[in-house]
Amino acid sequence: MDDRFLDEMRREPSPEFARELHDRLRRQGPASRPARAWRPARIGFALGGALAATFVVLLFTVPAVRVSAQAFLDLFRVRNFAAVSVDPAKLERLKDKSLGLESLLDQQTQQLEKPGEPKVVSSTTEAAALAGYPVRVPSRVPAGYVTDTIAVTGAGAARFTVNAPKIDELLRTLGITDLKLPPDLDGKSVTVRTSAAVVQRFVRDRRKMIFVQARSPEVSMPAGIDLPQLGEIALRVAGLDPAEAHRFARSIDWHSTLVVPVPLGASSFSQMTVRGNPGLFVEVTDTGTSPSEHHHTGNMLMWSEGDMVYALSGNMDRVSMVEMAESLR
Amino acid sequence: MAVKGTGSSKLLGWLTPATEAHWDALYAEQLPRVYNFFRYRVGDGPEAEDLTSTTFEKAWRARDRYRRDLGAFTTWLLTIARNVATDHYRQARTFAPLEEAEGLAGGPTPEELATRRSDCERLSELLGKLPERSRELVALRYGAGLTNRAIARLTGLSESNVGTILHRVIQELRAGW
Repeated sequence: MDDRFLDEMRREPSPEFARELHDRLRRQGPASRPARAWRPARIGFALGGALAATFVVLLFTVPAVRVSAQAFLDLFRVRNFAAVSVDPAKLERLKDKSLGLESLLDQQTQQLEKPGEPKVVSSTTEAAALAGYPVRVPSRVPAGYVTDTIAVTGAGAARFTVNAPKIDELLRTLGITDLKLPPDLDGKSVTVRTSAAVVQRFVRDRRKMIFVQARSPEVSMPAGIDLPQLGEIALRVAGLDPAEAHRFARSIDWHSTLVVPVPLGASSFSQMTVRGNPGLFVEVTDTGTSPSEHHHTGNMLMWSEGDMVYALSGNMDRVSMVEMAESLR
Repeated sequence: MAVKGTGSSKLLGWLTPATEAHWDALYAEQLPRVYNFFRYRVGDGPEAEDLTSTTFEKAWRARDRYRRDLGAFTTWLLTIARNVATDHYRQARTFAPLEEAEGLAGGPTPEELATRRSDCERLSELLGKLPERSRELVALRYGAGLTNRAIARLTGLSESNVGTILHRVIQELRAGW
């Protein structure tokens, strides 16, 4: 069918308009730090990071949680979730280049398998073929929401080799003098493997909600490691006071619990059961970094089921999120 | 239809530390796409420039969060543009511009009507009569120069559905042309 007449309205933007807008954007300042490729080292503490790209994708959609995501701790396989309140300002200090945390992680991490760029697909069937496992979809979504994008992130793997003297030096720099890394850990490796993750985005006007599913990330490490002790160190680095870090570290099973740091004073959380499985609901309010920024709220629901982990995030209320989660088929 | 390719490899520059260096190329490549999307979406006038500016300003501010959208850069940018268009129509429904209200009283003069009969304006008028969804699909296809597949990804419709709707809309538009 001849549709050439529909090209009649195409015009090049006027040079004046193009130049003026270009200059205006430039005046808004240099680029803020760009997004970086997925690297386990960025999302974990000393043991090489331990969180699936799944959750990174999800958590990064809630700005207030974004900074906290860097403090995720190690795990073998996710079965349970536990939230811990952390002070965003204390987490922020970990980014200080003079501290050397990032360079330490960079130096000690070897990427074994790169997840690559997320691939946008046209259906959940295609997503399942790429991901290598059946993709589940909610049979109920809040009124007006439609699927906007389905994407699949690749599997990833990274190995972190422990440099005990450097980590101890880092602890001292942070003022943590009562804890030390076990010396026999020096030179040992921890490997983190994440499966492909399927990300479905739903939109309604400007509202978005994201549903992520993936096989549980797996962390393999030398036998005999005192995980509660390492967990306690990580919690201290994340800014928890000594008593709270000790109590929390001794209260959970580090082999199966995903520790989710949530910003102190800007969030609330509760353990809950989703489809008969352990889950965690987090409500986040982003107070922004300046008075002119509008406040953003978002909720997040994550749960495990068999060897899969699921997460929902968006501006939906708790009831809607649970209904959506319960409707998975 | 003279639409340049997305140059997605170049667009990856948006995601890398070389963002500043790539910005000019990205901007030059995407500006006509977004601008023409709005020309088809809201009409030929200053609004198209205003909404294009708003879209790029939002994208510029949010560029470090691009990866969250998990799609091609063009898709991401046009998602912002679609939201800007939605906001525009929402505000327009609430607050009709004063100029518009003034125009309603008298209507165009015969001379004005005569000069408005350019092809561009004829098409603009026809597009103005389309339902919002149809007009958006036309804007994405002919303004932004997207393929049916890309439109499907952006809108959540199936590719065949996009093709069917566009086919029907084009027939309607041809009948009125």
